[in-house]
Order: sequence, then structure tokens, then C-alpha cells
Amino acid sequence: MSKKSIVAKKSKKAAGKSPSTAKPKTASRMSPKAAYSIATSSKKTVRERVAAMSLVPMAATESEEKPQAVMNLVRNTAEPLKVRLAALQSLAAASFSAEGFDSWRGDYIATLRAVAEDPELEMRQRALGLLAREQDGFAQKKLLEGLQHPEKALLPPEKALQLISYDVHAEAYAVARDIVEKPPNPDAKREALRLLAADAKAAPLFEKLLRDKDETREVRQISASALQTLKPEKLQEHAREMLLDKSEFDDIQATSLTAITQFGDEESIAKDDKLLKSVDRFSASKAPAKYKQSARRFVSKYSK
Amino acid sequence: MKVELQINNSIDPRSHYVGWAPSTCRIRVTDPSGTILPNVNVQLTGISAASAGAVKFRKNATGAFSDSLTLQVPVTGASVPFFVAGKFGRASVNDRDVRIEARAALLPGLPTSPVGSVRVMVRIRKNANSLTAGERDRFLEAFGQLNGRGLGRFTDFREMHTAVSDPQAHRAPGFLPWHRAYLLDLERELQRIDPSVSLPYWRFDRPAPVLFTPDFIGVSSSSNGTVQFSNSNPLQFWTTDGVQGVNRRPLNNWNPAAQRAPFVINEADTFALGTQYPAFRTLEGNPHGQTHVSFGGSISSIPTAARDPLFFLLHCNVDRLWAKWQRLNNRFNPAQAASYDSTPPSRTGHNLPDTMWPWNGITGGGRPPTAPGGAMPASQCVSAPGPQPRVRDALDYQGSVTAVSRLGFDYDDVQFA
Repeated sequence: MSKKSIVAKKSKKAAGKSPSTAKPKTASRMSPKAAYSIATSSKKTVRERVAAMSLVPMAATESEEKPQAVMNLVRNTAEPLKVRLAALQSLAAASFSAEGFDSWRGDYIATLRAVAEDPELEMRQRALGLLAREQDGFAQKKLLEGLQHPEKALLPPEKALQLISYDVHAEAYAVARDIVEKPPNPDAKREALRLLAADAKAAPLFEKLLRDKDETREVRQISASALQTLKPEKLQEHAREMLLDKSEFDDIQATSLTAITQFGDEESIAKDDKLLKSVDRFSASKAPAKYKQSARRFVSKYSK
Repeated sequence: MKVELQINNSIDPRSHYVGWAPSTCRIRVTDPSGTILPNVNVQLTGISAASAGAVKFRKNATGAFSDSLTLQVPVTGASVPFFVAGKFGRASVNDRDVRIEARAALLPGLPTSPVGSVRVMVRIRKNANSLTAGERDRFLEAFGQLNGRGLGRFTDFREMHTAVSDPQAHRAPGFLPWHRAYLLDLERELQRIDPSVSLPYWRFDRPAPVLFTPDFIGVSSSSNGTVQFSNSNPLQFWTTDGVQGVNRRPLNNWNPAAQRAPFVINEADTFALGTQYPAFRTLEGNPHGQTHVSFGGSISSIPTAARDPLFFLLHCNVDRLWAKWQRLNNRFNPAQAASYDSTPPSRTGHNLPDTMWPWNGITGGGRPPTAPGGAMPASQCVSAPGPQPRVRDALDYQGSVTAVSRLGFDYDDVQFA
């Protein structure tokens, strides 16, 4: 049985442990101490425990034992997944607020690393996300390894690419380029392109994708944005041409107009009668109202 | 005869922005032709559409406000002071949509005629969910320009809120003052781009269906949380740390129907945390931290939170909660123990007299190794908090204790104290 199917079965089993019909006490009315006690009690329903968990960040400031118990709960695969996820969320919230957090940061990171290879996909995804945002080397290595060797992947490629983008290294660009060439799914292609938006060598690829009317609008929108970062003058050039092109899609023309409005050279725009006429035509077209409104604002700003 | 009206003591239109807290103003005669008496009575009135901003006046630093004010102004050209404030509940919608008109009669008994006017804006931080399309678009355009394809001035704001700067801003009493200064810095930069913009807040304990749309702060379009923006939204070009786009995945406690996180404590419960600052500042956990982790993606971790534009609207609401709590409990005065928490001394940067990083430019010795962004930018409207704000400078934000302490922002639901 694949890891994914094991994950699905376990998730159902864990989630099914909370058939309480009683409405739990509003979490915000509980004291942090009471909330902690409910959150960690296996005698309470899943629903009650999840609701109480939101107040644990406050309780966590009271002693070091409490965060340890919450971390143990996160690691404990016998506990319901919903409770474990809520516990993880509480630890993440405590990282924003608990005064003693620095003293148990090491244990927190170790907990995240431990559950990065959890049987549950959602747990792996959240733990690897938190680690990646801390620029954790362990997570980076695991994510890259999974992209290079899909059989070792802890996450789907689109998610791994997204998380790798928190700390981009050259080797990630090579993997992203491969995925753009042979995407396993459209989401993975999109995330690979987002990653490549920081790679100076990718500018020609984005120019090509931007002008390709057979590409999805989303890919073209990402390409415009990437080009704005990598070669802003090229985007201005293409954006102008796409606005002049009567056969271009409305939404791509809207992106072009936004690029010119936001980043174009005001003096050159004011002198560009051809462009102003095209935008004026766009403002009276059958395009969605919000695009036409942007066009009207543009025309009124630059009309002589 | 003509008079000159100085708002925030200036004729520069960039100074013509007021809030609920009174702005110091002046009037003087610039052309006395036609007058024969040494003084002339000038009546000031605010004129605006019903949906626009509205102002009120008073002669002195204290006392009641009224819709119009008559001042005796010498024809010698000497200035006469007065005070203008926005009428609570009547914030402006468009830039300088209120006209203050001065009328005078050349001789007693004659009808009055206009002798001068000035346009002002009642510039107020509002609930993002109730902005007009125009307000929203102006904010997004300014924010997009500040980001400047990942290379603009926004880079400094990104670098101010990282793992390295974490101890300056979190898990200690200075959490609220530091973020107040941070937002003020950002807002002043936005206002350099478009002076009519103020930072909106995300009221995270209420549904915000207008905010979470492709035309505003974006929507997470798929299970992995990549945020999608409409083709007319400037945030489609949002880039941070060299990476394009925003990642924000609503987690399992996010209520998609209500567009709010159910485990975030509401406003009333936040105020119920306590009337003393040490108790109130536990809001750093819930609602603040809890709201951050209502999502996966960059906003859910301190090192990356500032990569998401929503982060600034979230913090604007945290600041609003503090402002509203301050008003409820009269906690503006740094000299009053209950207004802050600095005993026993906290770590550097969190005590009332401490200057705050990075605006103080101090690096090393308990401060981060670099200080991005430089000093706090000056405002055209107010003089506080100065280039190197101290923790204490963040408290009296409306200048209710000391008028010169006013920081130049207000919230739509927090009156002048």
C-alpha cells in the first residue's frame, strides 16, 4: 500500500474520534490553565480539545513543562490528527508570543523535524512549512531530495517547490527548470515558474511564455510578474504591444495595463498617443467592468 | 481682503491632513484691502458632501468643538491660532474632500463673503472590509509601488521583521510600541507615494469577505496556498526576497463561510484580558499569534510574516485594539504605571526610555547586526515621534497627554481621548 493511501486511512480514523454533539465551552472564556488541561486530556472530545488548544500559547508562558507536553502530543501518532494539528498550531502561535519560547526553541525545531516524516501528509506539510520558513537546513535537504528523487518525496512537488522558495539555492533552479519542461501537473509548473522568477537566466523563458497565447492566463500572469522583476524594461515593451494587440485576451491586457500604470515612465506614456488610444478603446470594450475602470483612470490621468 | 489658512501650521498642501485629534492651525490676513478696522471677524466653516469627511473647530487647545468658529483676526498680518479636527464618524473618502471656508464682512452689519479657503482630508485608518473601491485601489497602488517589484523601499520593511530582529519586537512589553512605530513608518512611506492613503486594518474577529477577494488581498486558489490576484490588482507583481507572489493557506480552523478564524478571541474578550498593560499585552498570544497561525504560508512564521501584505493589515488591527483599550482605560500616559510594563527592566528595546531599533541605527550589543531603513521619516503634519523614537513615544499617539506627542494617525472607531 502506498504512503498516500496509508495516510488517507489514518486520517479518517483519527478524524472520526470526535462525535461529540455537545457544544464546547467558548475557548475565549476559559482560563489559559483550564484550556491547557482540556487540550491535553484524552478524556475530552476532539472538538473540545481543539477549541481549548487556541489558548495554550498563553498557558505556555507559565511553565516549561507545558510546552513539552504539547510537543509530545504533536509527536504522538496515537492522538487524533485534529488535536495534533491544533497542538502544532498552538506551538507556532507561541513562537510569536510566549516569553519562554527561546528556551524551548531547540525542542520545538526537533519536534518539527520529527513530524516532518509523519505518516500524515497534512502534518508533514505543516511541519516542513514551519521549518522551511526558519530556513532550516534539514527541511531544505529533504525537500530538494524529494524533488530530485520523487520516490523519496515527503510532499507533492508543487508544495515542495513553494517551500524551497523560502531559501532559494542554485540547485533548486535546476530542478525547477526540469519541472517547467516536464511538469507532473499544472500546479507544479506554476510553482516552478514562481521559483524561477528570482533566476536572472530565466528572463528569456518568461518572455516566451508571456507572449504565447496558447499558455494558460495564470502562467502568462506569473511570467509578466517575473519579467517585471528580472527585466522590467522588457515587460514594459511587451505590455505596450499586448495592449495594442486587438486580439489579446482582456485579462492579459489588464495585467499589461497594471504594469504600465504601476511601473511605466509617466513622461513617455503621456507622449504615446497610440497607447492612449488603445487603452481608451479597452475602456469602452466588452471587458469586465473593473478592467474598464482601470483603463478609464489611466486615460483620464494621461489625456491632454 | 484675503486670508491665508495654515493647517498643521503650514500652507503646504501635503500638510492638509487631519484626524480625530486636533491639529494646530493658524489664520492671517494676507491682503487687508477694503478693511478699515484694525481687526476683522472671520468665520470658519467646513463644507463637504454628506458622504465625505467633515471637520469641527475650536479656538483653544481645550474646550468644546463646534461646526463653525469665528475669530478676530488683526489686519496687520499677525497669525491667530485655532484647532481643527475631524468630526468622529465622518472620515474622508477622497483626497481633501473637505473645504474649510473663511468668510468675513468688511464692515460690521454687511453680509459676509468668502475671503479664503483650503481643502483638507480627514485621513483615518479604516476597516479594510468597508473601504470604497477608490480607497482600496489607492492603497493597493501605493503598496505595489512601495514594493517596487521586490526592489523598492519595502525591502527595508521586509528586513526589519525577521528572525534576527525578532527579540526587538516580540515576546516582551515592547511588542505593541515596536509594531506601532513599524506601521507608522510604513504608512508614512505610503503617504509619500499618495498622501491620501492610510493603512487599513483587518478586523480578524469578524467576517471580511470584501478583503479576501482577488481585487484586494487575494484568495488562496488551491490546496497549496498560492494566492491569486485579479489582473487589475497591483499586488499581482508583489515580490519579496526575490520570490514572486504570496503564499497563504487557510488552515482547518479557518471558516470559509465566515471568512474569519473561529479560535481568535473577539474584541470584547481581548479588552477583558485586563485593564493593566502587563495583562493586556498577553493579546500577543491570542488574538495576535492565533490569527497569524490561522494560515499556513509566510504569515504564519515570524521570519517570513512580512512577506505577506496581509500581515500589515493584521498588525494594524492589533494596534487598533491597543488604541481602543488605551481609550477605554485611559492608558496614554507613560508616567502612569498601568499604561506600560517596564518593571523589572526588560531586555533592551522594551523599556519605556529605550530607543527602538532599527530607527535608532544601533547595531550589536544586544541589537541586531544591521539596522535597515534608517530613521523614522518625518511627517508633514506632526513632529512626533522624531527620527529615533523611544518606546514611550508610542503611547500618547493622539497627543491627549501632550499635544506635541501626536503621531498623526487615528482609527475609525477610536475617538480622540
